[in-house]
Amino acid sequence: MDADVAIGLLRTMWRIRCFEERVVQLKRSLQVHGLIHLSIGGEGVAAAVCGRLRDDDAVYSGHRAHGHAIAKGAPIDRLMAELMGRSDGVCRGLGGSMHLVDAEHGFMGATGVVGGNLPLALGTALTHHLQEADRVTVVFFGDGAVQAGHFNESINLAALWRLPVIFVCENNGFAEFTSREEHSTIERVSDVVAPYGFERTTVKGSDVPAVWEAFGGFLDAARGGEGPFLLECLTYRRRGHYEGDQQKYRDAAAEQEWAERDPVAQLTRRALDEGWIDDEAAAAIEAEAGEAIEEAVRFARESPFPEPAITAELVYAR
Amino acid sequence: MQELDNDRLVWMFTQMLRIREFEERVKRTFEDHPGVIRGHTHLADGAEASIVGSLATMAPGDQLMATYRCHGYPIALGTDTKSIMAEIYGRKSGLCGGYGGSMHLVDPSRGFLGTSGIVGQGIPQATGAAWGAQLRGQGQVVLGFFGDGASKQGAFHESLNLASLWKLPIVYVMENNNYNVSTRSEQEDANAANGEPLSVKAAAYSMPGVTVDGGDPIAVYETVGAAADRARKGEGPTLVESKVYRLSAHGNIIAPPGVPLHYPEHEAITTFGNREEYEAALRGDPVPRFRARLVEQGALAPERADEIAQEVHEEMDAAVKFALDDPYPEPEAAARADFVYA
Amino acid sequence: MAREIPYIAAVQEAIRVEMERDPSVVFYGQDVAPSDEDPLVQAFGRERVRVSPISETAEIGMAVGLALAGYRPVVELLMAEFMLVAMNQVVNEAPRLRYMSGGQVKVPAVFKAGYGFTAGWAGQHTGSIYGMFMGFPGLKIALPSTPADAKGLMATAIRDDNPVCYLINYLLVLEHGDVPEGEYTVPFGEAAVRRSGSDVTIVATGWTVGRALAAAETLAGEGIEAEVIDPRTLNPLDTATILSSVEKTGHLVLVDQGTRHGGASAVIAAEVAEHGFTSLKAPIAQVTALDVTVPYSEPMEAFVLPNEEKIAGKVRQVLGEAPVAA
Repeated sequence: MDADVAIGLLRTMWRIRCFEERVVQLKRSLQVHGLIHLSIGGEGVAAAVCGRLRDDDAVYSGHRAHGHAIAKGAPIDRLMAELMGRSDGVCRGLGGSMHLVDAEHGFMGATGVVGGNLPLALGTALTHHLQEADRVTVVFFGDGAVQAGHFNESINLAALWRLPVIFVCENNGFAEFTSREEHSTIERVSDVVAPYGFERTTVKGSDVPAVWEAFGGFLDAARGGEGPFLLECLTYRRRGHYEGDQQKYRDAAAEQEWAERDPVAQLTRRALDEGWIDDEAAAAIEAEAGEAIEEAVRFARESPFPEPAITAELVYAR
Repeated sequence: MQELDNDRLVWMFTQMLRIREFEERVKRTFEDHPGVIRGHTHLADGAEASIVGSLATMAPGDQLMATYRCHGYPIALGTDTKSIMAEIYGRKSGLCGGYGGSMHLVDPSRGFLGTSGIVGQGIPQATGAAWGAQLRGQGQVVLGFFGDGASKQGAFHESLNLASLWKLPIVYVMENNNYNVSTRSEQEDANAANGEPLSVKAAAYSMPGVTVDGGDPIAVYETVGAAADRARKGEGPTLVESKVYRLSAHGNIIAPPGVPLHYPEHEAITTFGNREEYEAALRGDPVPRFRARLVEQGALAPERADEIAQEVHEEMDAAVKFALDDPYPEPEAAARADFVYA
Repeated sequence: MAREIPYIAAVQEAIRVEMERDPSVVFYGQDVAPSDEDPLVQAFGRERVRVSPISETAEIGMAVGLALAGYRPVVELLMAEFMLVAMNQVVNEAPRLRYMSGGQVKVPAVFKAGYGFTAGWAGQHTGSIYGMFMGFPGLKIALPSTPADAKGLMATAIRDDNPVCYLINYLLVLEHGDVPEGEYTVPFGEAAVRRSGSDVTIVATGWTVGRALAAAETLAGEGIEAEVIDPRTLNPLDTATILSSVEKTGHLVLVDQGTRHGGASAVIAAEVAEHGFTSLKAPIAQVTALDVTVPYSEPMEAFVLPNEEKIAGKVRQVLGEAPVAA
């Protein structure tokens, strides 16, 4: 971690934060529709993991995908247009928030069914292995996916075939609305994969330098063709499972604690303490992100709604 | 867990012999009566000790579910072998009236709730039955049987997590014969590839995982019995890996109608050319091994053992004859609406 | 006594009433009553009301096992598509075990899920996928379109001795309607005639029933009297009511929120074509969703779905008020 890295990560995190806060407003005013899942409070993981990757590395995400797509380099104006259902959206308005894809930047896609992305990531990792490429696949998933059968099927195969894939679990302690202790007797996801013998670790997702370091070690090994690895990041989603969730299951005390451990605030403090940035520069990073998001909203609003006829054109590849 | 007295030991030996002889008759049917068995059969020869050792732990009201390799369980539970053979021959008096066949034996009156013909899919069903036992609160236990291959099915992972979380009264008995049809475990299982027993998987569900010699019925009885006692006390599930060697091929050959069916040689030979592995398994055959042990410790006189063998031989002669003579069901019975919907 | 409550509350009420009536009914699934304050937990305890992990194969497979062992599970699956994760248990285990056992066992289980949520949920959470389940004898399918039916069909589903896919149309959850209090059942296999008419028969399910009724009102203004039939269950399917209506009207328009190919309306069309051909005065017409994955963007989503205008237009076509074209 140095000044350049920290500044880069702060930029990404602020872009995600501003994007998602803007989406909250747009959802309330019905300019974004459907089901929206936000990662506010968890931006550090997306920024630190994707910040280390190249465009030709593959990332898979789930329903809570905005941050991963932004951090992987997907253009925010086209992401915003997608959320607003416009023809210039990354998926031309056919996918929406839960199904973002930007293949050009290696964001291979988000899937709407919990854990459905895990076997897909294995396929991509196998491709890289067969091509003897130094490309790495990263798959993000939540703690809720760990209890799904395809998680175990994927873990066994990845371990057996030693695939260059890094499983990144964002363990926010809730599978949708249910806490982890109601889902499993094993608290840490990294312990669930213990029988399979590959390298794994658990870090605090709010500690961005720790995520950066831990992921970096796995990434270097995976570039050399080793794998799999599992990085568990303990995070907290500061908003509900989805926008509109009444969150009756939430613990107010934990919420306060996590607000204090906000990854953006923490990394900003660290950068100030180290003298990497001053207050003015910190404010500028936030302001730049805000302006970029406003520009993205303008872009999206100007984009027309898609021609309905494209629905029929895109069912089969031609 | 009850002590195994001589009567019980002899009972166990008798059941093992009955299963073996029954499976031999199924196999011989392909030669002696071509065309009588259709479809796919899977034999339990080699697993008799594991089956009987497990089932010997059952108390009244206990239940079990199993896989398509299912002939052995109802035999040991006391289901009439005539009706089992008739089912495999597709006859009217078959255990399931000819609707199920070899892979789908069911005898709920004896606690045998059924099987799944799809790998791993019986595991959640057995888990559900265990939840039922927990709800009844009468200390009943469910035995869930499946193979080593099933442990790579998502259903295994999902079920063991839930059973552990809810402390369900179930013993998961994995009969590890080291082959998924013709694929060896180390080719498809990360733990096997690392030279580890498959029972280590239990650690992912914070439940005990134990490996036992499935060729030794007393060891199986003690291991499954301890797990069943634990389950009965409300302390939750256990994964028992019972290592067995299947003495026949995975199943009879698969061929279109008109091509005579038969049992090929074991995959160790046909796929891997490893006759020595198979012959070593034959030398360790659990049925003669258990007979020798009982005779040696004085629990069973050799003459009595021969008598039992003769009785079993006659029982299976009768089963085959009954099944051959039994009529086929009326074709119209296939449309029985009360079987489509309860 | 009936009083007005929302569709979704009617579903919950049926579960509560049936759990009171029969101690063998258990209810569980993802996010079912995570709080101990939940009224069902308060009433029946944690043994019978459970929250389960995201493990569809185990959840549905356990329901089969519970049912084999004498219980009547209701599994909350939230979205019909989540059944696809465990398709084997839904179609290859639950409905087949009784038959293959020669009638020895039964599998009384309810797979409760939502469908048809064409409200910006994009391609994986909106499917009207019940058509595919119609090809599995042994599996029943209930599609309530009113709050009263939501209650009555759920109660019947729980009491039925077979696996039932009980599918809630998520577009209807806040619709209010009169619902009888206490025990209330609606029989399976009995279609409801939602509106009588002599000129054309419209068959619709779930959310499209309301669309068909609205279209019928428009058509009434033009002097066309449509009869609107809601089959309520697709397995069993009340073909007799549909056939006798077609005998009266001579015209049939099928409305389906699902796709055209392999869908429910295709099955109904085949039945009427075979058994009611001589009653028909014009070809059967279908107003279905297009054969595409439901798109996210709102204008496209609306484009692929049936609506009142499309239904009314198709009715005019079959009556010869407009040219009969594809």
